[in-house]
Amino acid sequence: MRIYAICVYLFLYIPIGVIALFSFNAGRHASQLQGFSTKWYGKALNNPFVMDALETSLMVAFASALFASVFGTMAAVALQGIKGPVRTAFDLLIYVAVMIPGIVIGIATLIGLVTVFDQLNPLIASIWPNGFEPPKLRMGMGSLIAAHTMFLMALVVIIVRARLAGMDRALTEASSDLYATPMGTFRQVTLPLIFPAILAGFLLSFTFSFDDFIIAFFVAGSETTLPIYVFSSIRRGVTPEINAIGTMVMGVSLLMLITAQMLLRRGGKKTK
Amino acid sequence: MENGGYVGDSSPANKKAIAELRGVSKSFGDVLAASDLNLSISAGEFLSFLGPSGCGKTTALRMLAGFETPTEGEVLLDGEVVNTLDAHHRPVNMVFQQYALFPHMTVAQNIGYGLRQRRPRLPKAQIAEKVTKALEIVRLSDFEDRKIWEMSGGQQQRVALARAIINEPKLLLLDEPMAALDRKLRKEMQIELQDLQRQLGITFVLVTHDQEEALSMSDRICIMREGRIVQIGSPQELYDRPNSRYVAGFVGTSNFFSGNVTDQNGGLATILLDNGMSVQGTPGVELAEGQDVCISVRPEQMKLHRQSDGVKVEVHNRIFLGEHTEYLVNHETLGDFLVLSPRQSELNEGGFEVGDQARVSWDASAALILNPN
Repeated sequence: MRIYAICVYLFLYIPIGVIALFSFNAGRHASQLQGFSTKWYGKALNNPFVMDALETSLMVAFASALFASVFGTMAAVALQGIKGPVRTAFDLLIYVAVMIPGIVIGIATLIGLVTVFDQLNPLIASIWPNGFEPPKLRMGMGSLIAAHTMFLMALVVIIVRARLAGMDRALTEASSDLYATPMGTFRQVTLPLIFPAILAGFLLSFTFSFDDFIIAFFVAGSETTLPIYVFSSIRRGVTPEINAIGTMVMGVSLLMLITAQMLLRRGGKKTK
Repeated sequence: MENGGYVGDSSPANKKAIAELRGVSKSFGDVLAASDLNLSISAGEFLSFLGPSGCGKTTALRMLAGFETPTEGEVLLDGEVVNTLDAHHRPVNMVFQQYALFPHMTVAQNIGYGLRQRRPRLPKAQIAEKVTKALEIVRLSDFEDRKIWEMSGGQQQRVALARAIINEPKLLLLDEPMAALDRKLRKEMQIELQDLQRQLGITFVLVTHDQEEALSMSDRICIMREGRIVQIGSPQELYDRPNSRYVAGFVGTSNFFSGNVTDQNGGLATILLDNGMSVQGTPGVELAEGQDVCISVRPEQMKLHRQSDGVKVEVHNRIFLGEHTEYLVNHETLGDFLVLSPRQSELNEGGFEVGDQARVSWDASAALILNPN
């Protein structure tokens, strides 16, 4: 049993380890190691295309994580207050949103938005004053943020719901018993107690959005995110520069995941 | 008992009613949690809801607090119907079963929480001053900056108490506040709570399943069963004049014998017991001839002796309790029952050993005739 487990882990992590190893390769071929160097990191960070893609990725990740955290928390708190079939239906939809393959979300969002834009654009053009160029709705950063927010929100709902469920209901009752309005209770009791979960949700969302390739590939329009850039460069062969980018992305993601995990653990102890 | 003198003037007629339940019922789906509750709580009294779990006592408390809305009837606070008034608008505070202290706040922040919600805002200095005073009252003066999880169970309970009384509520609701404390601490807190209630003059409403707790602390007890109020009265009234077998068994211990009414004259009635014996008793409820009843005799009202009157029993067990000795005796057809014998009479007439034959008798005035359930 143990040997199989080791094999599985090796199978999962050796390729990742190899990428990290080859990112320090001094030579220019990805297939043979020729001494240690960090020059590819420098090269990647000085590449304007990489930096542009990184900027786009960071903006998209930050915006969608922020929206997802805010809306997800609102949804989680609201769901906590309702019961019966409505809640069951919403719960189901949320889990579906998390489990739907990225490619489905990507295609669906693409088709949906393109259809809506095709309907709306002539309408906007018709009401726009003559002589001015009417704005044109198109796929781009907005649609990417929207698509990411949608599935990340479901993730935040699940994380925050778990924390809310572990919170003693008597705490909010005590707060209202002590004259706090529902808003006051949310601000002074609920929010501080679920905040670690919200922050963890934000960090996870940020990571997922930052790493996402599939959805971005469909809905990013002319924008290039870092994963899209990496994908298109790979077609010209894997260079140590790509490995360096991959290693950096992985490092940042790992850091965020660990932080999120720590937040969830520590916060969990405190509410008990 | 210290509050013995209270009984007379604790009746609702003599004091202003601060809270009232009028025909209040509450159902959760198909479950009727509380049914037709009628109760008037007077200012300054210590009232307990006593009953087993699921009897509706917590539901009654939560309707007073504003956490539940009655399905039927009216809840009144200070003469006004408050059925739909939200908890945060009610001048009522609650001590929760697990205290429900805010884990992300210090002791002082917890205690000052209610005052911080006041609009217009109270000056910070005034809040701090009141918090300091409240800490003094519950004897936690040096603990204001502690975190909640650094406090012991007993200390947490004091914090919960201080957090409630600092607001000077019209009603202080206590939901099984001692349930989480160990026995010794519970005794101490009971005395402290009583002192506090007298000192502050706040009306206390306690929910408990512990009869000893209810008996020792309350001015009046409201006994509940399956969502209904069975009897309301002072601890003495409930003990001396229970209106049903249920109350007699819940408040103190008693021996019960079932039978039916054969005759009534004057203040007494004759009961034919199930074993064929005929005994006299005092009606505790309205009786009709032929009615199934139950006779309740308190163990201390029974006399264990060697004379020729009374029923013949065999001593099965003997527990020496100091001022009393408790005997478990068995009668051929009446079964087992308890007799409490005072030390003095044991010294005068000699005690009994396990296996001894003896006789038990009681006065007709001590045999209370009650409904059989």
